[in-house]
Amino acid sequence: MTITETKPVKAAPARAAKSRRRSGRQWPFALLLGLVAVLTVSPFLLMLVLALSPKNEPTLPHQWPESLTLDNLVTNLTSSGFLGWTLNSFIYAAVSVVIILLTASMAGYAFAKKRFPGRDALMWAFLATMMVPFQATLIPLFILISDLNGADTFWGLIVPTLANSQAVFLMRQFIRDLPDELFEAAKVDGAPEWRIYLQIVVPLTKPILATLGVFVFLWHWNDFLWPLVATSSEEMRTLTVGLSSLRGEQFPQSMEMAAAAISVVPCLAVFFLLQRYLVNSIAMTGLK
Amino acid sequence: MRHRLRDPITGLLFVLPMLVLFVIFRFVPSLGAAGLSVTDYQLGGSWSFVGVTNYARLFDDPIFMGALRVTIVYVAIYVPLTLLVSLGTALLLNSVIFMKGIFRSALFLPYVTSFVFAGVIWRWMYEFDGFINGLLAKIDLGPVGFLDDTALVLPALATVSVWKGFGYSMLILLAGLKSIPSSYLEAARVDGANAWQRFRSIVLPLLRPALFFVIVIETIGAFQAFDVIYVMTGGGPSRASYNLIYALYDQGFGNFNVAYAATIGIVLFVLVFIVSMIQRRLLDRSNT
Repeated sequence: MTITETKPVKAAPARAAKSRRRSGRQWPFALLLGLVAVLTVSPFLLMLVLALSPKNEPTLPHQWPESLTLDNLVTNLTSSGFLGWTLNSFIYAAVSVVIILLTASMAGYAFAKKRFPGRDALMWAFLATMMVPFQATLIPLFILISDLNGADTFWGLIVPTLANSQAVFLMRQFIRDLPDELFEAAKVDGAPEWRIYLQIVVPLTKPILATLGVFVFLWHWNDFLWPLVATSSEEMRTLTVGLSSLRGEQFPQSMEMAAAAISVVPCLAVFFLLQRYLVNSIAMTGLK
Repeated sequence: MRHRLRDPITGLLFVLPMLVLFVIFRFVPSLGAAGLSVTDYQLGGSWSFVGVTNYARLFDDPIFMGALRVTIVYVAIYVPLTLLVSLGTALLLNSVIFMKGIFRSALFLPYVTSFVFAGVIWRWMYEFDGFINGLLAKIDLGPVGFLDDTALVLPALATVSVWKGFGYSMLILLAGLKSIPSSYLEAARVDGANAWQRFRSIVLPLLRPALFFVIVIETIGAFQAFDVIYVMTGGGPSRASYNLIYALYDQGFGNFNVAYAATIGIVLFVLVFIVSMIQRRLLDRSNT
């Protein structure tokens, strides 16, 4: 520091040289990183090549396809079965996002800012259920849904996935940091509780609601085991379950790859639009 | 005063929707799993109390013991591998400025996709007529039956899971690396510590909490592997990738031994619980 202060003219080029040396040393790292990045992305690109290859014509790994076609994508997108699965996945994900955001933010608000008997015990119980892996409850859950005549229905598919302790915990942590004065002022003004929730809690938690919404969407869109168990008819399948059933049905490879490529588009859209929310929230909260 | 009296009721009302979901779809099935494991419940509803018969049967069941072995071997392959890749990429990202955002996005990209998607593309990568064998053939090697060899199938599946998931742990570790004050590293550099010494004595100790978190999350996740196995191998060849969750699914929905399947779920719970407890012990020790 003293050197730069006393001899700024000399120090500045020295520092520049140093940082140039440093960035010079970065090249091997950047190269290695670039290699790993290309390897990581390459399965996506290979899938795209296969999805765009004409049916029954030579393609990778033997040779590059001689021409590319959108036929496989179009055939999938005009097949009623595939569209049905896609719609089911959208319903499964979208309904879950809406209800989880609503119920988790309400519960999070109460846990953070309300006093009621048994609050801490209840919060503890919510957190304790995180210890029980979902798969351990798979069989009882299936029996429960079947007994309630919910097997192979939308509500039987969706409702059991709405009890989400991670969401409640996240909302509670976030709302707890909001200043108490806001809520007290609203109460003094005589605002009813539902208005405090709608006009203070919801607007102020928008960023965390967006983050949670992204995660809940991805969890449900990519979910497999529960939809596999909870649905049985072909019309009720979600996209993941439908995709996993294609191989058995002598489906042409290029068609299967096209179906898989389409299935990943919403995930990629969410990723590119909301990457900042995803990345920051993982780093800050460990949300998975 | 009036609103304070109303508070307990409004608090409970706000928690109520999530609470109802939790009681019905988390607490009841959790207890139900324990309950089922001590009965001979049949789909349809008939049952009688059988004590620990199901648990005793586990130890005499070579298929279950095989599944337990597969699970442990899979965890032992997957966790170090994903740790190596996520730590390596996090360190590289932390030392590179050039195109850093693009690299990070590329490496994180597979995380937003589903295991079914990953399974579809990687099954083709591994096939005899697939991409990797196509590359091997160019240098007169192979073909290698990655998914048909009992010794190769678990490393092959673990690789797919690492590809799909390492971006998450990478972000956690990257956040940990960023929180290390650069003045520490600068001081060590001035004192003549080389890169390895700086890593061993400064980076690694300060990264310990993040590393613990990642190890536990990844271990618990690896115990619960299912989607990728279902899509890629169906538990084969000759049950070489038939793990605990696969056994649970197979017993419950293939053989309809629901009580026995629920017992396997309890074993999974106990394993996950043990891992969490070990983590808590280690964290407590590292904090004191």
